[in-house]
Amino acid sequence: MLAPRSEVAPSAATTIRLEGVQKTYRRNGVPVAALRGLDLEVGSGEFVAIMGRSGSGKSTLLHILGLIDAEYEGRYELDGQLVSGQVADALAPLRNRMIGFVFQTFHLLPQLSILDNAALPALYARDRDALRCRADARRRLEEMGLGDRLEHRPNQLSIGQRQRAAIARALVNDPRLLLADEPTGALDSRTAQEILGLLAELHARGATIVMVTHDPEVAAAAGRVVLIRDGQAHDRRA
Amino acid sequence: MARPTTGALSLLFRFALEGLAGQRGRSLLTMLGMAIGTASVVAVVSIGLLGRAYVVGLIEGVGANLVFAYGTGDGINPEEVSFEDVEIMRARVPGVVEIAPVLSGSDAVSIDGEPEALSVLGVTPSYPRVRNLVLVHGRFFSDREESASEKVCLLSRELSERLYGRRAPPSDASLRIFGVRFQVIGVFREAVESAAAVQKSEAAGLTAIVPFSAFRNLYPVRFVDVVYFQADSQEAVPGVVESVEEILRTRHRALSSFKVESLESYLVLAQRISDAVTLGLIAIAAVSLLVGGIGIMNIMLVTVTERTRDIGIRLALGAGRSDILLQFLLEAGMLSLAGGVIGVVIGAGLPWYLGVLYGVEVPVSAVSAAVAFSVSVAVGLFFGLYPARKAAAMNIVDALGYE
Repeated sequence: MLAPRSEVAPSAATTIRLEGVQKTYRRNGVPVAALRGLDLEVGSGEFVAIMGRSGSGKSTLLHILGLIDAEYEGRYELDGQLVSGQVADALAPLRNRMIGFVFQTFHLLPQLSILDNAALPALYARDRDALRCRADARRRLEEMGLGDRLEHRPNQLSIGQRQRAAIARALVNDPRLLLADEPTGALDSRTAQEILGLLAELHARGATIVMVTHDPEVAAAAGRVVLIRDGQAHDRRA
Repeated sequence: MARPTTGALSLLFRFALEGLAGQRGRSLLTMLGMAIGTASVVAVVSIGLLGRAYVVGLIEGVGANLVFAYGTGDGINPEEVSFEDVEIMRARVPGVVEIAPVLSGSDAVSIDGEPEALSVLGVTPSYPRVRNLVLVHGRFFSDREESASEKVCLLSRELSERLYGRRAPPSDASLRIFGVRFQVIGVFREAVESAAAVQKSEAAGLTAIVPFSAFRNLYPVRFVDVVYFQADSQEAVPGVVESVEEILRTRHRALSSFKVESLESYLVLAQRISDAVTLGLIAIAAVSLLVGGIGIMNIMLVTVTERTRDIGIRLALGAGRSDILLQFLLEAGMLSLAGGVIGVVIGAGLPWYLGVLYGVEVPVSAVSAAVAFSVSVAVGLFFGLYPARKAAAMNIVDALGYE
């Protein structure tokens, strides 16, 4: 399981290390095992696609990786830091600084302009003043080709533009890890290609990306495919 | 990786404002609920204070720091206050500004050809000051007129109106009292005229007041009807009462046939009653404040449910649970704060405006406004806490999937 390493400092060679992660749901009182001792290692700068049938636990895995689900057993190291077993409150700043989320349905706040949307993670980080936050958000949106749409609300944009705005938001705090949950699931094929091209470009510039998808064509954009089956991860080189 | 807290509040204020602005109509209606609650508390306290000021004014209008002693004529050995008693009291009772003994007699006066009972009081020049009498026309008699036993008199306003109508008595007006012609030099009234005050007062009704000395010369009196004392302060009143009682006790066989009273007990009683009534009214008004608070909770619960996805997104982007809690608490707080401000403006402004309109001084208690305002904010925060906690405790994965 050797990960291709890109131009990243050796000290941060491994971004994700999961060991024996178990997650059991209770569905109507009946325990359902989603992850059964899953091991996974993702190197810094990797672009990994996670595949699996619906209900295989790939979304669960993404939630654990994204620190929005902290109730599991096993060990999770993110960027060399042990994050499993932490209380939920301690995870918020980690999530804020180290994780960038890209969702299938974008999850932009409809009442805010895309500039304000993109500035949100920066504002919650509270390490810059509001002006810096907006400047950073503007820079990311300009990189995504949305420089002339800053004050638009999400519903005034095409769906492709919305997903690009969401990616700008995910990048505003320079996260260690970009997590994409079916990022092309709500897009037509042309727009999907455009977004995948963007992710590939980010990867080429050194970003570590983990993307969940059920579509093999989409997974092909990633350098590595991990298949989730029976609650465990199986590497399948693309 | 702890985050600095500086600037957090202003940021969350902004988020809370954005949240409220996103539902303007609903926010305004919720505010209105709080405003009505706050306004009713402030207004009720004003009404209570007005009632209290009215009652206290009635009692104090009889005379400030007043003490009065009189024989009741009751008991086995009925006794009255003698002229010597008055002289000794004048010499010995400490803390007294003025002393005003009153002689009382009766005569008849002919009004429109019909004889009517006339009450005649023999008083010293200090009497109008002690008893808070107000001059309607003319003047009071002077010390010189008193010592010279001049035949001058003042009429009660009621008597003057019966004799001369609403105009001032003519300059040559006179009244026949105890068979002697008295020159009318003025018309007086009591400072407070009300059914309650008039019944207790000897100066009400068809009354004429004449110099003490003149009265004594013409009318065979052996004792003083009542002696008034004006204490130099409210604190001196009990001492004056005690000292007057002491003199009466040593000089007479039975103190039981005398009464020495101050308005203190009436004042305390009236204040207690008005305070109790006000408190009851406040309790009723507070219910509307409570209802306003429940309105805030209701709306915030709806808001939190509606914004489930919004909250999930914020949490996923790295907002702390405390950020979410504070944001929604601030929304509830701002609703109640704005409601409180509007409520205070209405609750204080309306009585003030009505007061100006009708020329009445309406007391508006700054304390009650401040208390009502802070209580309304506290109520809003209290009732906002439960929805805010609900928002902060949300499961992020579930919230993100919420449509």
